[in-house]
Amino acid sequence: MTVNANPNIPEEVRAVAADGTQLRYALMEMARDMDDVIALGRGDPDLDTPPHIVEAAKSAIRDGRVNPTPVKGMDELRKAIAERMRAVNGLPVAAENVMITTGGQEGLFLAIQALIDPGDEILVPDPRYSSYDDAIRRAGGTMVSVPTNREDSFNLEAEAVEAAITPASKALLIVTPSNPTAGIVTEDRLRAIADVCIRHNLIVIVDEIYGKIVFPPWRHFSIGSLPGMAERTITLDAFSKTYAMTGWRCGYAAAPVDVIEAMARVKQVTTGPVATVSQWAGLAAITGPQDCVADYLKIYTERRGALLDGLDRMGFAYGEPRGGLFVWADCSSTGIHATELSYLLLKEGRVLIFPGTAFGDAWREYLRITMLEPIETLKTAVARMLPVLERYRLPPPQND
Amino acid sequence: MQTPTTLSRPLAQRVAGLHDPRAPSATATALPASVIDAACAALDRGETHYTDRPGIPEFRAWVADHLRERYKIKIDPAEVTITCGSTEARFVCLTLLAPPASAVLCPGDSSPIRGALHLVGAKIVDAIQDDISLLYISPDVYRETSTELLRRAEETDWWIIYDLSLAKTDPPFHPARNPKLASRVVTINSLSASMPGWRLGWMAGSEMALRLRAGKQAITICTTAVSQWAGLEWVRTQL
Repeated sequence: MTVNANPNIPEEVRAVAADGTQLRYALMEMARDMDDVIALGRGDPDLDTPPHIVEAAKSAIRDGRVNPTPVKGMDELRKAIAERMRAVNGLPVAAENVMITTGGQEGLFLAIQALIDPGDEILVPDPRYSSYDDAIRRAGGTMVSVPTNREDSFNLEAEAVEAAITPASKALLIVTPSNPTAGIVTEDRLRAIADVCIRHNLIVIVDEIYGKIVFPPWRHFSIGSLPGMAERTITLDAFSKTYAMTGWRCGYAAAPVDVIEAMARVKQVTTGPVATVSQWAGLAAITGPQDCVADYLKIYTERRGALLDGLDRMGFAYGEPRGGLFVWADCSSTGIHATELSYLLLKEGRVLIFPGTAFGDAWREYLRITMLEPIETLKTAVARMLPVLERYRLPPPQND
Repeated sequence: MQTPTTLSRPLAQRVAGLHDPRAPSATATALPASVIDAACAALDRGETHYTDRPGIPEFRAWVADHLRERYKIKIDPAEVTITCGSTEARFVCLTLLAPPASAVLCPGDSSPIRGALHLVGAKIVDAIQDDISLLYISPDVYRETSTELLRRAEETDWWIIYDLSLAKTDPPFHPARNPKLASRVVTINSLSASMPGWRLGWMAGSEMALRLRAGKQAITICTTAVSQWAGLEWVRTQL
């Protein structure tokens, strides 16, 4: 089954099916034109930014504290982030090792531009968040996939990393917890991966944007805290997911000073400083009470349970979702290509879900489903999906 | 605690050609009360999530209306993308419209585009030559030097960026009024003069509008939500 040969897929989807990012946006635009769609596609928390953060931003606005900041960000915010990363993540960083970015995605873009020359290879776990592709392509780099699998809950193996290394390899990108798989790279694996990176002098770019959303007993671990890694690690994070602040567009990067200086040079010509009001909001988030983080994790834990129950009823398999806001579900039992299944679930079930093909060409038997709706809405989504699956599910192949 | 100062491997070569960031120089005058109220009201009603990738529909509609009323050019709101200042608009346009090794014709001040074009690997020239891919002009040079260049543009496939954001003058004409050029003209503007810390700009028009939108999304996804609502109130009441 191939996407392009399937007559059930509309032209607006087929036209962008080879580009994961555009495929996601094409489905979102179709959903926007429909009534009563349950959106389990985009990674935008439905929860509100906590009130104390909103109030801090409003105070800054009313007090007129909204003039532009340096490109690297407000000094007090960089200092607060450094203190937090030292205390919580064990990273040996000071304010000079930190810069503020326009969301986590820009942090990745800036890091790639600052590090990757044409011809350099960057190792990326597969599946991947496809917005990375554009940043790597613009820098003239080559993405080399490192396989992960459901049986291993999409944990990353040092052996797989080492097997992908060539003389052109310059960096390894780690996303933990992972978008889209919800797997985490465990501490024991990160220690082994760090050994590989030191041995081969690889840089590590680690995206930890979901690092505060990890379901016990699993725990997040920062590879940059390991001996010998500080001088080769760029750690990316943002306020977007932890504090439900996607619309503020405020993230940060921690790295050796020369990398921060280089990223700032690029940022100067890319977007300039982050909106000042967003930086005040970020400062309130990171220095204020952290109860909201635990409260949100409890909510996501309950939703995860409800969603997994629904997937069990649908006959979908999945690797254990250990962190983040998604479930990466194996829909192969339906016999339907993921792109077509996403379209059918949207068109006939009014549930927006992204196909695995938006995160890597090979993932035609997977769906990425968010848990960013209340439990009752998630149950309604499951109830809508079940009859669609029954209608289109192909019988299992007969063995002779 | 030993904090890291130097990466274990060399940085990308392109970084060496970029300048260190300038210290912030712009200082805004006090915002009108209605703009402050609009920003706070947006936060109170929960405008803290991603907006539509190209920006809130109300702001895009205002941009389209403004371009039509002020410059008599026809822009669909769907061809408008709200950006993080004019810096992002310039970066996206230049990196997507000027291929590496091509020439960008800039008859005026080229300082706003040097950094982005360095990253692209395109060169800046101030006279017509064979490998020009893009003409970058602002209203400040429109009348003196650009009339002939725009006539030449009719005979070529040059893209045209008409950057209003840094201009000292704002004459009521526009290269997109020429139907032979309209599909290849992108207009850039911003609120940097009046609301510099809010990082709000836009890019509008051309047959590449959707690709430009995708290019912006790949970097910052969308522009800060509260900035868009504050900016919308500003343009509705102050312009």
